[in-house]
Amino acid sequence: MTPRTLKTVLLLAPLLTLTTPSNDAYAEPQTLGFVVTKWNTAMHETRFMDECPEGPTPGNWEIWESTVTPEERRSYPEALITQVRHVNYRGPNGEDICAEPTSVVDPPLKIVEGKYSYGIDLDNNEDGQATPKTCTHKNFAGLNGENGIDNQMYRLMGCVEAWRSYGHIESNANSHRVSSGLGMILMEVTGVDDLLNDDSVKVIFYRGVGSFTLDSKGEVLPFASYEIDHENGEPRYNDMVSGKIVDGVLKTVAADVHIPHYGNYQYLRQLIQDMQVDMELPTESGKTSGMVYGYYGVEQFYSYVRGMLTSFPNRHKFSCPPIYVAAHELADGHPDPESGECTTLSSAFKFNAVRAFINHPEPEKLASTSDSSGALAINRR
Amino acid sequence: MIGACLICLSACEPSEPITEGPPPDVRRLTEDQYRNIISDVFGASIVVGGRFDTPVRTEGLQAVGARNATVTAAALSQYDEMARSISRQVMSGPSRQFMAPCAATGQVEFDEHCTTQLVTKIGRLLFRRPMTDREISDRVGVVRETTQRLNDFSEGLSTGLASLLVSPQFLFVADVVEDDPNESNALRLNAFSKATRLSFFLWNRSPDKRLLEAAESGELHSEDSLESHVERMMASPLLKAGVRAFFTDLLEFSEFDFLEKDSLIYPAFGAGAVRDAQEQTLRTITDHVITKNRDYRDLFTTRDTFMTSTLGMVYRVQVKARPGTWEPYQFASDDPRIGIQGHLSFLALNSHPGRSSPTLRGKAIRNMLLCQQVPDPPPDVDFSGFNDPNSPSKTARERLTAHSTSAACAGCHRITDPIGLALEKFDGAGQFRQTENDALIDTSGDLDGIAYTDSAGLGLALHDNPATTKCLINRLYAYGSGNNLSSRNEWMAYLEDRFSADGYRIMSLMKRISASKTFYAVSAPDMSGQTIETAAVQ
Repeated sequence: MTPRTLKTVLLLAPLLTLTTPSNDAYAEPQTLGFVVTKWNTAMHETRFMDECPEGPTPGNWEIWESTVTPEERRSYPEALITQVRHVNYRGPNGEDICAEPTSVVDPPLKIVEGKYSYGIDLDNNEDGQATPKTCTHKNFAGLNGENGIDNQMYRLMGCVEAWRSYGHIESNANSHRVSSGLGMILMEVTGVDDLLNDDSVKVIFYRGVGSFTLDSKGEVLPFASYEIDHENGEPRYNDMVSGKIVDGVLKTVAADVHIPHYGNYQYLRQLIQDMQVDMELPTESGKTSGMVYGYYGVEQFYSYVRGMLTSFPNRHKFSCPPIYVAAHELADGHPDPESGECTTLSSAFKFNAVRAFINHPEPEKLASTSDSSGALAINRR
Repeated sequence: MIGACLICLSACEPSEPITEGPPPDVRRLTEDQYRNIISDVFGASIVVGGRFDTPVRTEGLQAVGARNATVTAAALSQYDEMARSISRQVMSGPSRQFMAPCAATGQVEFDEHCTTQLVTKIGRLLFRRPMTDREISDRVGVVRETTQRLNDFSEGLSTGLASLLVSPQFLFVADVVEDDPNESNALRLNAFSKATRLSFFLWNRSPDKRLLEAAESGELHSEDSLESHVERMMASPLLKAGVRAFFTDLLEFSEFDFLEKDSLIYPAFGAGAVRDAQEQTLRTITDHVITKNRDYRDLFTTRDTFMTSTLGMVYRVQVKARPGTWEPYQFASDDPRIGIQGHLSFLALNSHPGRSSPTLRGKAIRNMLLCQQVPDPPPDVDFSGFNDPNSPSKTARERLTAHSTSAACAGCHRITDPIGLALEKFDGAGQFRQTENDALIDTSGDLDGIAYTDSAGLGLALHDNPATTKCLINRLYAYGSGNNLSSRNEWMAYLEDRFSADGYRIMSLMKRISASKTFYAVSAPDMSGQTIETAAVQ
């Protein structure tokens, strides 16, 4: 037994007793529920932003300012809202440049040039050359020295300050989710015979409805019970993948999975292709964290960027057109069969989760209610 | 044949021993009793604001401590504020219907006839007896004077009502005695005091209309009538309120008002959990002893309870009930949580803000459930070793062992800690844990010679301990009468015997107590030239 395994055994000992009623070798397999409390694009950020040698990418306002003379600028009305309209609708024919990102040609996005990144070798190809399933791309090295790390999402957004850990976009999304209960990700691990090592478990992803249960500091409390969002007894999200537990760490095989998302006033039924989860099973505290790896659709990602409030590109320093162009250029997965252009970005996400109990719809209650009562209509998107 | 046997069994029951009662007494209304009366008389919409004086706990019960409770100047001011607030609400809101026959608004002139009727009607409900002519005329005088000064009859009525609500006849329950016509040179409670004692015991509120009528007619002095009223009241849903009030007092739930937990250590134990934890235990008890009419002792071994989503997080169990609603719940047969002593209410209340306390828990079980008084620690106890964060002792057992080597401490710790240590797998908020500071927790111990290895064993030991049922009898009687049974061994032995024969059903015990002669027995007080009621008022 390695020192790490020994430590895991000791840490999981309390959880074992919580979930396993007896030491009977033929005991029923256990089910563990989790609710995701935080979800972030995994960014490797160095102290002096060395990974972005050209500095952070400019925002929409800065780009606009660089295209007008001081005299032109002075000719605009004083009201900020009117100015913002000029900035956002700066296409040659007044187009909204987020809705029509190709209507202008902005300076190229500043992308990550660093060597290291979070992620895994999604395509099993260390040189980054095109394969039937990927397009040519640059690989990163892992933070522990691994080769062939695929994470084009980081390369794309790593120099956009709003997406970095101190930016507002992802922290807004996390706080909106926790305060509203929208886009709640539930994860259920079934068939667990052994919390330390189990070569066959199933992991199912659901959307939860209702509110998060928070402590006095606004943190999500572990061991609360949550309802699944369903329609006529059928969960609206229900993707199941196979996995295993190795030394107390859950690992799933690659599979396409739909995961709910809410943030910055937008709902996404996000699809992560060839998704893999890597999550340490929690100890007595019921809290844990993990990583999700997979390919994220370019159009899916851009629709999220485009759908943000019109003030966001200016307030949070990003510009839609350079992101749109770079996202297509950097896409490295799932080539379109006709054009050959890749349609997805290799990605890595960090998440935090806590233990939860997942309430499935009860058949007897379905007779009186056809869907998750209490769920906001808007939450069903 | 069977019928004959039943008659025989009933007839063969030992008869109630005749015992002398204590001198008559005076008790202050508890906060719950005050609130219940206001709600019953004026409607549930009346908001009773303000703070009540801190209750006095004597011999384990506030109901007994109420004998010694006084009204401080500050409390009197609060009573006055509450009385004015209640009367304003009654006069202005939907509760104005209770002011009939003086319900018309906008009247300026004083109306003596309706005022007299109103004061008589409300005073009877508040004083739990008919008012005397003098009392009525005094209150009518208050209404008259206020109406004339303010030129507003409503204001006059409001002031008159407030004066009833601050009167000692309302705020204090006085035992009023009279000569017993059936026994020379003996006293008995008068019928209204009898009705009041019965009603506060079973319902924790004033006598209802039928009981007051029975008292007024003198019918309540007949055994049959008393028994039929006891039957009626025990069948009422209001019995739940009475049982809840008794266990709220017994389990010292008033201490929840002062309970503090470190939210960094126990983030799940917030205000919602504090509220639901009390309700969980009270629901479990009423379901067990009333709805299911089960053996009282099984309360310490039962796995049946009720759960909310808020409690589910602290217990770490799945709850399907929507937030704010309750669902029945049964802990698994191998779950270490067993009995009401395994509820959060008991475990969290008898712990420190940031850690558990085997000593406090053991002391609480001795005091509350076994009626065995454990003295407070001496003032000069050295806790430094116990509280030392760098102590090599990882578990409470190790720390207590070191602490108890002092002879001054060992005596008490010997009788508390082996009980509390059985509950050590529940932390200061009552959450389950296997380890403390990474060391496995040993939950073995013993209760009065019965050894056990875990909390389930403690539950069984409590279940089988003769002191458990004796204590309940003592406390229940004291709760209803305001007196303990210590000097009445024959009566105690009789109740113990009957409680056992009744399968330790609390319903039967309450019925026996409330239909007994002893429950209402009084002896001659040292009057020193005063009537009891005059003494009470003073």
